[in-house]
Amino acid sequence: MRITNRMVTNQFIRSLNDMSLEMNRLNMQVITGRKFSRSSENTSAAVKGFRIRKDLSRADSYLQNIDHAKASLGDAESALTHINALMNTAEERILAGLNGTMSRETRSILAEELSHLQEQLYQTLNSSTAGSYYFGGTNTKVKPFSIGDDGKLVYNQAVLRDLTSAAADALAKKSLFVDIGLDVQFDAGTGQLDERTVFAYSVPGLTVVGSGTKELSSGENVSANLYDLLGELIGELESDSYTYDRADALFGAFQEAKERIISAITGIGAKTSYLTFMSDRLEERQIGLKERQLDVEGIDPAEAIIHFESQKFAYSAALQMGNQILQPTVFDFMK
Amino acid sequence: MAIRPTFLAFQTASRALAASQANIDVTGNNIANVNTPGYTRQRVDQTSISAGGYTQKYALPGISTGFGVNISGITQIRDPFLDARYREQSAESARYDTIVQGLFDLEGVFDEASTPGLMGEFESFVEALQTLSQTPSAPDIALIARTAAQKITQIMNVYATQVNQVREQQIFDLSRVLIENNFNTKVKGIADLNDQIRKEQTYGNVPNELYDRRNLLIDELSEMANIRVSVLPENISEDIVVERLTISLHDPRDGSNVSLIDGGFHNFLYTEVEDGRVSIGIASSFEAPADNDITAHIAGGSIRGYLDLINGTGLNEFRGAPYYLDAIDDLAANFARVFNELNQSGGVDKPLFSASGGGGAITAANIRISDEWLDDASFITTTHLDGDGGENVIRMISALESETVFYKNGDVALPTVFSGSFHDYLSGLIGEVALDAELYQNYSDTSANVQNGLFAARESMSGVSLNEEGINLMAYQKSYNAAMRYFTVLDEAVDAIINRMGLVGR
Repeated sequence: MRITNRMVTNQFIRSLNDMSLEMNRLNMQVITGRKFSRSSENTSAAVKGFRIRKDLSRADSYLQNIDHAKASLGDAESALTHINALMNTAEERILAGLNGTMSRETRSILAEELSHLQEQLYQTLNSSTAGSYYFGGTNTKVKPFSIGDDGKLVYNQAVLRDLTSAAADALAKKSLFVDIGLDVQFDAGTGQLDERTVFAYSVPGLTVVGSGTKELSSGENVSANLYDLLGELIGELESDSYTYDRADALFGAFQEAKERIISAITGIGAKTSYLTFMSDRLEERQIGLKERQLDVEGIDPAEAIIHFESQKFAYSAALQMGNQILQPTVFDFMK
Repeated sequence: MAIRPTFLAFQTASRALAASQANIDVTGNNIANVNTPGYTRQRVDQTSISAGGYTQKYALPGISTGFGVNISGITQIRDPFLDARYREQSAESARYDTIVQGLFDLEGVFDEASTPGLMGEFESFVEALQTLSQTPSAPDIALIARTAAQKITQIMNVYATQVNQVREQQIFDLSRVLIENNFNTKVKGIADLNDQIRKEQTYGNVPNELYDRRNLLIDELSEMANIRVSVLPENISEDIVVERLTISLHDPRDGSNVSLIDGGFHNFLYTEVEDGRVSIGIASSFEAPADNDITAHIAGGSIRGYLDLINGTGLNEFRGAPYYLDAIDDLAANFARVFNELNQSGGVDKPLFSASGGGGAITAANIRISDEWLDDASFITTTHLDGDGGENVIRMISALESETVFYKNGDVALPTVFSGSFHDYLSGLIGEVALDAELYQNYSDTSANVQNGLFAARESMSGVSLNEEGINLMAYQKSYNAAMRYFTVLDEAVDAIINRMGLVGR
């Protein structure tokens, strides 16, 4: 085969160009810290990378949702702690009153005290953050608790005293949900949200105060919720026909109803620790995803720089060769 | 034995000198053109002359010497087979190169490897919906969700515009730059050269330089289309034969040809846009084909590459701009369909997305937020139940995540085009254009390699090697000197005969 000048120079120009391209690619890798700057350089890695980005974004959302649920539960918890303190005070007062013989005046003072506590209970049940009531279940815009004409507590337009336990259960189920990555499902038939696949974070006020009626030992049916029970007590204390027995029976019912607050607080504790567990898991997943992302899209800087340096060396060597690529011809030796 | 004329050898010596001189001249020409594009190295054709048989018909047979050297011409060293191979390959290479460039442009529109695009906006939308699900009744959060949705529609609009721009640019490049300026000019140039060469040949000249120019033009033409070159001898009178060069476009399907150039005749190509497809027509001044639309005849070259990019719908053909336009149209239409369905409330349609300018099918170019939603961010249906829950928002998030059936143009009556999540659809789309770009880049590299090999082979045949020319130069200089020496010897011999012979005893 004849070797001509143009063959040699062409070949040289081509290799120089190839080397520059490769250098540019490695340089981009070092600068951007990425294996590729366009998908076509490594399509399968790019598509994998897209999936990881999506999963990362989802994990981010779930974490934010968990934070939101935690914050809401925290708000409810502090309100409940407050309510618990109020009811403890009420309990102490009533207990102190019932233990002695009470004159008409003392009863009046105790009733006065209790009605303050009752008022505070009512207000705390209607507490809100950022314009959203957190004891209202799915109702966040309107005060969930109100007082009916007869002075009885009303929850979301339902008189608590008159609620059957089934109706109460249905009301208690109305909760706000967030998606925390439990693979949200909908019932194929009805299209309804499968509540086991989302996280319900509302603390419906009705489960805190109680509903329906309670039969006293005397056979009398009284409203079973804390507010109404306090009302009954106040009424009894102020009544001319005050009897110790009825007051004591009401007090027993009150103490029983009060237990709900503790169990609600415990319930929140359990939910919060579940959320903490989930967020730990999600954070771990995030770390795992970021590692994989680095694996798929990122470069090891040391490795990239070494590649770049060796390519630079090859390039300079080629340039140096270029000086000599057009070797002397017979002309250089003619006399 | 024949009588040898006294001055016979002077002619031999003179021809020897002339031959060496011609060789030195041609060598010089070769050296001068060592870097001229398209130059083909030349060679002096020389033969030895013998005394013809007829002149000695009646002479006694005996020993006869040759009469020296004869210069019959100066010819190019070129291999037509290599030319044909080279040109075939350059049509292939140029097609791939054009496609790779076009695909890179399309990839640039969709790709999100370095900068987030539509896929990123979908993620932002999901994040906004997640936030909305936390406080479904908050109007400010509803506003954020709407803004995120609006960005999706805007990016879809941008994609459609950009793909169209890429396509418009390609149509412009193809029709104005490539065909009207480049291709047709070269066709005319070759036809003109054919004319000139014919004239030269008629006078018996060998116009090597014109051949070079013509070959260079044909090489360039071969990058644009799959041309087939043939050279036929043509008798223009009893004893004058000239060559007639014809160039045609060869249809690989049925083997038929469309004439582009025949001697001095030439046909121009033009482009036509009809129903969004670009076709190539031929304006014939001779040998008109049955159909002026010769798009199918163009199977290679950059023109084919452009046609693939501009017309490729992906249905039994290349995936070009129309394919990707369709793909994002389907995405936009199905996205709107799914969300408008989800936003229905109590059996009443409450569309979140609509086509700009009122009714009609939703496409990537015209999708936008509906007026109702634009007026009121809380137009989005957050719940189907009483209260302020957000279960419908969660349903929307789930719809973006889970498998969705994509119908052609978002119309449930039309066939299904894809089944999977929106993310799958988009990443599949980006993957497709990236894979095509990767694939055609590989084709292009391979093809360029083959072409480089052919270039080297051709160069090895026709290129100028300075070493060779240098050695030739030395050799011809020596032979020139030798021829001169031969002259001197002859001269001395004749001098001796005339001036010194027969002087004995004077």
